[in-house]
Amino acid sequence: MERDETIVVIGEDVGKMGGVFGASRGLMTRFGDKRVRDMPISEMAFTGMGVGLCMAGYRPLVEIMFVDFIGACFEQILNAMSKIPYMSGGNTKMPMVLKTAAGCIGSAAQHSQCLWGTLAHLPGIHVVAPSNPYDYKGLMASALESDNPVVFIEHKSQLHQKSQTFFNNRPVPDERYTVPIGKAAVSRVGSDLTIVAPSAHAEHSLAASEVLSNENIDAEVVDLRSIVPLDIETLTKSVAKTGRLLVVDEDYRSFGLSGEIVTQVFETLGPSGLKQFFRHTMPNIPLPASRPLEEAVIPNTDSIILAAREMAAAS
Amino acid sequence: MELIARYKHMLTMRHFEEACLEGVPTGEIHGELHTGIGQEAISAAMIGTLRSDDALVSTHRNHLHGIAKGVSLRSLLAEIYERETGLCRGRGGHMHPFDPKTKFSATGIVGSAIPVALGYAYAFSIEESTNIAVAIAGDGAVNTGAFHESMNIAGAWKLPLVILIENNQYAISVKTENVSATATLSERSQAYSAWGKTVDGTDTSKVAPLFAEAAEYARTGNGPAILEATCYRFRGHYEGDHDSYRSQEEKSIAAQEQDPLLITRRQLIDSKVASEKELDQFASESKKSMTDLLENIRQDPMPDPSEVSKYLYC
Repeated sequence: MERDETIVVIGEDVGKMGGVFGASRGLMTRFGDKRVRDMPISEMAFTGMGVGLCMAGYRPLVEIMFVDFIGACFEQILNAMSKIPYMSGGNTKMPMVLKTAAGCIGSAAQHSQCLWGTLAHLPGIHVVAPSNPYDYKGLMASALESDNPVVFIEHKSQLHQKSQTFFNNRPVPDERYTVPIGKAAVSRVGSDLTIVAPSAHAEHSLAASEVLSNENIDAEVVDLRSIVPLDIETLTKSVAKTGRLLVVDEDYRSFGLSGEIVTQVFETLGPSGLKQFFRHTMPNIPLPASRPLEEAVIPNTDSIILAAREMAAAS
Repeated sequence: MELIARYKHMLTMRHFEEACLEGVPTGEIHGELHTGIGQEAISAAMIGTLRSDDALVSTHRNHLHGIAKGVSLRSLLAEIYERETGLCRGRGGHMHPFDPKTKFSATGIVGSAIPVALGYAYAFSIEESTNIAVAIAGDGAVNTGAFHESMNIAGAWKLPLVILIENNQYAISVKTENVSATATLSERSQAYSAWGKTVDGTDTSKVAPLFAEAAEYARTGNGPAILEATCYRFRGHYEGDHDSYRSQEEKSIAAQEQDPLLITRRQLIDSKVASEKELDQFASESKKSMTDLLENIRQDPMPDPSEVSKYLYC
């Protein structure tokens, strides 16, 4: 925001409070209440404002507190933000960042969804979902300088987590740097199995791979970082080496990211390029409230370990 | 602006829409087409008040607003005729014109123009400029949540937003009076501490001063304004609409009594500004120039299918 005066931040509780997770703390004091503005609970209006601000030459960061609330403004995402660059034949840019928090925090069906598959399905937007503080800052810098609309998905469970407690705890420099959109990272090198996941589950996959290494299962972990564009090159390079793919996805199973990844790997490597694959995902049910029910459906480190063990046993 | 000048703009608008109608039976325009025939007085009334750096965000029925904002007739007609030379290289089509040069755009989704115009209004307030953002709404759009959310924000922060409601009395087939909690749509302005008035939108000489008043109100920092202009849509909702929800009698009365071109023509003759002969002459010149433009556009290339993915991302 210091280097680009056209960046404005709008959303619910983003100003005085600094965001419900503190992500924009101090910004209003530093940049004023015109560039950082608390909005009424009117997601449709202020997401559309983001579209209008882009047309007027700004780079708005629009915060939708929880991705679960996106239904209230989906029209502007679906029919305006994502489509205007194309519909205008390239004469109108949409340099908008739609920042939103996803993932399970024990808050059941309306406050713990992922929905990145829903958003990734729409042509015309980039979707990023970092798994650690270093990537968060670098991807945010890339998103803010991109001329394309970017949906930036945080994981709610990570937003109150101390940076040193992350598995991937690469120090976060004070100065600005970028992490490219559309590039996955191999966060652990291995030879027996490729585990791929976005967001917090890339962290859980790293934790799982440490346990698995004691059981002679040497897993390679691919942290997607971006969902659109999907870095199929990094992924297939890994799968070509290991021959085995475990997709971990906290989002709904059907018609989504996990199926897309498997399909694209098959399309790229051919049917003989993949000896074994497994999708470990949230099933297609609304997330239940009660803890034992939730634990039965949300992938975690232990369930990733189990899935990898079952694959090893079957191979 | 003199009435005769507005009349000429209305002729251009009517003949532009007639040029569009030609492309439907021939298949040159192969999707829906929504024309604003019968609603010209409202768009013509904006001319002279709207500045080039004001923003205008329109609807599925947007051609006349684009013309009022100064969009190139050629680029707009070529876009509607699906040509590579169109405003959006044939990617947008008639419901989705975008012209950054004139700050004109539209959306095909009812009500969704209003939040986008609100974004412009917020930008103008950040810049402390005297520009205004105008959102066009039909009588249907006024019942969306987007209208309420946007008017509340504009009212709370006194943003320079003008909502120009074209109340043509029907949201496709649903009559406004059967679904509105208020007798007029402009009286809803009270809920948002906004300026609000209703005007006969078939008479451009009545709409123009009120649009100027609404614009001035918003431009000078008083907050948003709602101008409701009543009118009658002469064609169906879209070309091909059976239009069985309106009686023949109702439509023929409207054709005689609510045609903005006839109303202004009568005023010009009665006030001796122009003779019947002179006005006929203007009309035939306007018609010919639009026919020539269409013939010219018909020679333009279609977009190249090998470039269908172009412009998805920057």
